Amino acid sequence: MTRQIAADQERARRPAATRILRAARPWVQLAAFLLFLFLLAGAGRTQPLPADLFFRLDPLAGLANMIAARQVVATLLAGGLVALAAALVAGRVWCGWLCPLGTLLDWVPARRARPREQDLAPRWRQIKYFLLVAIILAALLGNLTFLVLDPITLIYRTAAVAAWPALNALITGAEFALYKLPFLRGPVDAFEAAFRSNILPQAQPLYGLSVLLTLVFAGILALNAVRDRFWCRYLCPLGGLLGLVSKVAWLRRRVGDQCIDCLRCARACPTGTIDAARHFESDPSECIMCLECVPVCSRADQHFTPHYRPGAWRPYDPTRRQFLASTGAAVLAVGLFAAEPVAGRRQTAAVRPPGAQNPAFLSQCIRCGICLKVCPTSGLQPSLSETGLAGLWTPVLYSRLGYCDYSCNACGQACPTGAIPRLTLEEKRLAVIGHAYVDRSRCLPWADGRSCIVCEEMCPLPEKAIRLEETEVWTGEGQTVTVKRPHVNHDLCIGCGICENRCPLQGDAAIRILAPTDLSALG
Amino acid sequence: MSVTVNRRTFLRRLLALSAGGAALTITGCGGRRAPTEPTPAPALSVPTEAPTAVPPSPAPTAVPPTLAPAATATAIPASTVTSTVEQQELTVAASATPAPTITPAGTAYLAAVHGPDLSPAELTKRAIAAVGGIERFVKKGDDVIVKPNMCTSYYGPEYASTTNPEVVATIVALCLGAGARRVRVMDYPFGGSAKNAYVTSGISEAVSKAGGEMELMAAMKYRNLTIPKGKALKQIRVYGDIMDANVVINVPIAKDHGSSTLTLGMKNLMGVVWERPTMHSRGLHQSIADLSSVVRPQLTVVDAVRILTANGPTGGNLDDVKKMDTVIASADVVAADAYATRLFNMRPEQIPYIKYGAEMGLGTMDLSTVKVDEIAG
Repeated sequence: MTRQIAADQERARRPAATRILRAARPWVQLAAFLLFLFLLAGAGRTQPLPADLFFRLDPLAGLANMIAARQVVATLLAGGLVALAAALVAGRVWCGWLCPLGTLLDWVPARRARPREQDLAPRWRQIKYFLLVAIILAALLGNLTFLVLDPITLIYRTAAVAAWPALNALITGAEFALYKLPFLRGPVDAFEAAFRSNILPQAQPLYGLSVLLTLVFAGILALNAVRDRFWCRYLCPLGGLLGLVSKVAWLRRRVGDQCIDCLRCARACPTGTIDAARHFESDPSECIMCLECVPVCSRADQHFTPHYRPGAWRPYDPTRRQFLASTGAAVLAVGLFAAEPVAGRRQTAAVRPPGAQNPAFLSQCIRCGICLKVCPTSGLQPSLSETGLAGLWTPVLYSRLGYCDYSCNACGQACPTGAIPRLTLEEKRLAVIGHAYVDRSRCLPWADGRSCIVCEEMCPLPEKAIRLEETEVWTGEGQTVTVKRPHVNHDLCIGCGICENRCPLQGDAAIRILAPTDLSALG
Repeated sequence: MSVTVNRRTFLRRLLALSAGGAALTITGCGGRRAPTEPTPAPALSVPTEAPTAVPPSPAPTAVPPTLAPAATATAIPASTVTSTVEQQELTVAASATPAPTITPAGTAYLAAVHGPDLSPAELTKRAIAAVGGIERFVKKGDDVIVKPNMCTSYYGPEYASTTNPEVVATIVALCLGAGARRVRVMDYPFGGSAKNAYVTSGISEAVSKAGGEMELMAAMKYRNLTIPKGKALKQIRVYGDIMDANVVINVPIAKDHGSSTLTLGMKNLMGVVWERPTMHSRGLHQSIADLSSVVRPQLTVVDAVRILTANGPTGGNLDDVKKMDTVIASADVVAADAYATRLFNMRPEQIPYIKYGAEMGLGTMDLSTVKVDEIAG
């Protein structure tokens, strides 16, 4: 009892600043997470903050992109420097306060550390450095495939490609159900008027690979059952980058000399870095500045104070051998990508968003998924193997699913790296992304002597790229009929794909978009 | 807030959310599945399903077909009427929207106002006045839907691919002046999003100023209708509110069109249809006529202030736009379309869907048999 009172008195002496900060942290996390969702939901529309704000604050994505593309992107550079400066001041404060994946991992139930339990396998912490080096080395060689492991791209992609469409489908499904009850029609109409085309998309977004992504993401969240913040401790390459910078952070955790070995701080630490064997010191490159050790300390002796000497090098921190190993792995991977057959032809066979330049596109796309989200027709889809592993998760236009809207230039406006350049609407309308080819063995007037001409009707160009030739043809019954048959003018066609999208045939369209061939040299 | 949420609470909430979501999707309300049973339009007393059952031919009372007034006004040549009884059956059974009104004696069956010095608003007002005024169509407290052509979101109104916003706004203002409870304006474009189309066409701004509402056509409001006398289409999925509204005013813009040659009033009705590819693959022209037999606007106002003479229906080239300074109004969409062909130096017989519409008794394309007022301003 006396010990309790004494402990309470100790706790009361705790510095107010740390107390307040620790209490504020869950609210800051929530606010940052809601901001992330808000920016995602509104991506593609004019917003007070840029849609790619979280990517600007992601120094790993920015660094990898600028190295691979060999050019500076001002927004990424500025944001990245801010993030690194914050890490120099307060360590991995991003991880503990702002990272949306980190916040989600805090909310998912985690396995509580047992007393005197060893860390799962401290050497596993080096996996994140391994991945970090692999990302940077691959970027040096022009490849950005490993950026799919960046936490911000991971959570954004999953939210944009899986969670958001699923949510919209459920909401629309609910509206359908409620609409069957006449007295609810008024409220449903009001809901539609308020939210459809403002926050909710007009058309249902559809994405391939959404299930795969969800499983991967769920797997990362499920790892919390093994250890709290498993991803942040062992796997996150951004955490690795910020961790290395945090070795020389200004503010770091320090335990005072009142420590009585009660182990409470070690049990409370979500990244398990408070080491009983080292007098409850924590590694600044693992500490996410969550301040959870502060309220539980029975002696109120946790302090976050300025330090000037670099933090101690731990066994799991990158050694030269590990550095060489991950370099080797990255080089090998890039070599393997280059040896894929698809590297020869298929990169240039993909229909890319307007303005994207092959093959440089692969060195610029950070696989964030913002373009997928803002595309109003769900035409832009993530590619899995169609453009090879070197092009994993880069956007490809599948016209049969969604055409490139003639009045839209959202993808270029939203792309954080300029991989899809910012084109004005006029410039975008002139950008050739593909050419349409009529399959005469299926097209109704060509194959069946039936009238159709939807493709010509849909073509948005002022001078249509599809011309109708009125001819007499034989039908299958041996009669002659007059039909209008479509011909594509490839000097005019920009490959937007609305013709393929609206072709009324079931299955594959009778007019399809293929990658453009530059025919200007030929007559 | 603690760092970790109680596991039991978390799992319980997750389970509740998933169960709710699953229940909603499973109980037959997910997405864009067409129900197999057509839903009858609740506002009407005539059945719209059961194509085999022929309703007893009632004496025309509240909803007389358009052909009857032609019988009272002028003599009908035998060519335009096959059988009065058959046509009465046809129009009553097929009419899912309230059929157009009788033309009062002395009023024009069709009016075409032309005047290079008149504003589009003035042209519209005079045309509607000549066919009986808006009071003929809109009563106090009516729920009115105005259906212009907003087929794409690509070009502004000067490109003549979407209906002139001033014409639409004038109609909205007239309806509200006649005491309409509300006037909604809507269309579902085939290119670009509806929201963009509403803005780019200039119609959203003009309608808001006139006091009307723009409505985004929501997926859950569509319903299936049978088309008893349909030849290419036996059923069609259309926007429910169009069928429920008291008054539907069809406001097309006269344009060149690759496959249907010209797009006018009957073609404009495709904007309320969910599954348009089917109409194309089953024979577009007959499908348009079949659609027109169940979706029957009370008034058609053809915007020919500017017409698109080539590269329609999308347009995009100002050289293809021709200023005709004309507005055509009629309760009969077939007649309005027939008249509009003259602006392109064509004859109605050259447009198959106009011909099929006339054959099905949906209106008259022989304008020599009806009172046509051509007004020059």
